Amino acid sequence: MQILTILLLALAAVQTRVTSLRTAIYVLLVQSVLVAGACLVVALETRELHTYIAALLTAVIKAGVIPFALFRLSGRLKREKEQHPILGPNAASLSACVAIFFAYSLIDHALPGVVSRDALAAAITLVFIGLLLMMTRHQAILQTVGLITMENGIYLVGLSVTQGLPLIIEMGIFLDVLVAVLVLVILTYRLKLSFASTDTSVLEELKG
Amino acid sequence: MHELIFVALAIPLITAVLSLLPLRLPLGALNISSGLAVAAVILRLIWQVATQGRIHTGLFLVDELSVVPLLVVALLTVSSTLFSLSYMRRELEDGHITEKALARYYALLQVFVFTMIGALVAENLGILWVMIEATTLASALLVASSFNRSSLEAAWKYVMVCTVGICMALLGTILLYYAQVSAGEGKEALSWLALTGAAARLDPDMTKLSFVFILIGYGTKAGLAPMHTWLPDAHSQAPSPVSGLLSGALLPCAFYAIMRNMAVVQHSLGPNFAETLLLTFGLLSIALSTPFILLQHDLKRLLAYSSVENMGLIAVGLGIGTPLATTGALLHILYHALTKSALFYLAGTITQEYRTKQLMRIRGLISSAPLLGGLFFVGLLAITGMPPFGIFTSKFLIIQAVVDDGRPLLAGLYLLLLGAVFAGMIYYAMGICFGAAPKKPINSPSASASLAIGLSICIVLAAGFYLPPWLGSVLTLAAALVTGG
Repeated sequence: MQILTILLLALAAVQTRVTSLRTAIYVLLVQSVLVAGACLVVALETRELHTYIAALLTAVIKAGVIPFALFRLSGRLKREKEQHPILGPNAASLSACVAIFFAYSLIDHALPGVVSRDALAAAITLVFIGLLLMMTRHQAILQTVGLITMENGIYLVGLSVTQGLPLIIEMGIFLDVLVAVLVLVILTYRLKLSFASTDTSVLEELKG
Repeated sequence: MHELIFVALAIPLITAVLSLLPLRLPLGALNISSGLAVAAVILRLIWQVATQGRIHTGLFLVDELSVVPLLVVALLTVSSTLFSLSYMRRELEDGHITEKALARYYALLQVFVFTMIGALVAENLGILWVMIEATTLASALLVASSFNRSSLEAAWKYVMVCTVGICMALLGTILLYYAQVSAGEGKEALSWLALTGAAARLDPDMTKLSFVFILIGYGTKAGLAPMHTWLPDAHSQAPSPVSGLLSGALLPCAFYAIMRNMAVVQHSLGPNFAETLLLTFGLLSIALSTPFILLQHDLKRLLAYSSVENMGLIAVGLGIGTPLATTGALLHILYHALTKSALFYLAGTITQEYRTKQLMRIRGLISSAPLLGGLFFVGLLAITGMPPFGIFTSKFLIIQAVVDDGRPLLAGLYLLLLGAVFAGMIYYAMGICFGAAPKKPINSPSASASLAIGLSICIVLAAGFYLPPWLGSVLTLAAALVTGG
């Protein structure tokens, strides 16, 4: 679990430096594999069937179907990449460090002495970095990647504080995430058709 | 009795599938009959709750608190399918959508109704979250259904902002589960009945933290300021029947999620914590939406900002938290839903006739189309809370509760803001309804559209004079559930 946590934190820092779409999706894929791994570790500890199923679902949906859909989409988006991120790579990485520091201090303040301190800190960091990516990137696919990162983080929070939710709720959440990505892929594809670009900074007609 | 819950969930799904199949069915008629069937089943469920008390079976729970939002969804499903008939036919004639897109529109509309009903009959707070998130996803493609530039922009912002918001609610829900597990009650994970039963044993700090996240999350969906930024875009760019559903039915569903969670928190922490938060968000929503109502250029955006303002008023009612205030808030949910959806249908008809949403370019409505203009004027009067309409009653109840709570200054401030909104609305109403008539003739609304609009306004008007006793007692019980009395 320690190794997974360290890898997750390192990967989150890498995520803040990526500007090409395909690399970002690869990083997300590896991240989802790590989350599935963490889920498997918990499953081996608790020996509960529903946690095994959740690990399998994480692997299939977040490390399989979603990256596949995003890769297919990015294959149609030649020459699209993040042109002018609101935070440059260095500033974004610095914010990642701040996020990690903040996550640890938050946990020690709100939940002193919690068993899975490091896993929880990694989870909160993922939520922060997901939010950061969504707010500072203009590319539609990178925003989607940010959303999944945040969702991964929330999933890890649940895993580290309560060993995961009951299976029926987990299934519902997986279904929602899957449909959300589907909807965003459809919208991104339409953006490309209508605006000839998937840079969401062109979306500024609606005001007042 | 609980088989009816399955029926209510099954009808929209079956209709969605039928709409997509290449059977050349009359889509409009099929969806209207489906809407009527769903409404009949839901009304039967509501009657059961009003006469026999709550229906609880495994995953499902329908109690007094579900009644008002369920009633709203039932009525608005009927009116929006009715209005879709003529509205979408016109869109088809004008070439805004294709035959294939029409089938998709109806299928998504039914899935959207299904997700709302699912949220309102779920007993488990986790399932409730799943269903509320599903409403966003079902309605996002409806918002984007014309796939032009501005509707794409609205849909993108809608999905992004609401999904981030709703993820916060998930985080809050997980923390609530953690509090439940820590209290040794983990067996019935996130079951609402188990949680309210064990509320006294939950760790207060963890419950507080979880409710903050939950309120920010569902508050985003409920259009509370400052998380309301997506709402004017999404509600104004959606096809008008959908705008009516979004403003009238979906916002109450989000409020319903807040109230369910609030019931647990009230039992656990006592009244003050949740109420202060809601009061703050409510005041912010009213204050922030007022200038946008006063300086507005777009008819549908005007109505959308008015929704933000009204949601703020509902939040204030829940935030005062006395039985009177909560009853007022629940009534306001019902009346606002009927009036605002009727106004969106009217706005849809008007924009189709005038081919613009610009307020300055819509003139002389009453002289060119008396029925349309008259209904629109009456609708605007109703939404600002003029007597004798029902909204006057619910607004009055909330303001009175604020005064009774010993906050006369706050009540004065609200009255000032409500007065400003009234002035703005009447100014626009005068401009639209009177003035020089346009050169080209304006058609009267079709029979089905007039029925959908007229029925909604008639109910709100009748409600100003008469509240059925069974509904009164249901509201009292529902208010007791929320306030933890």
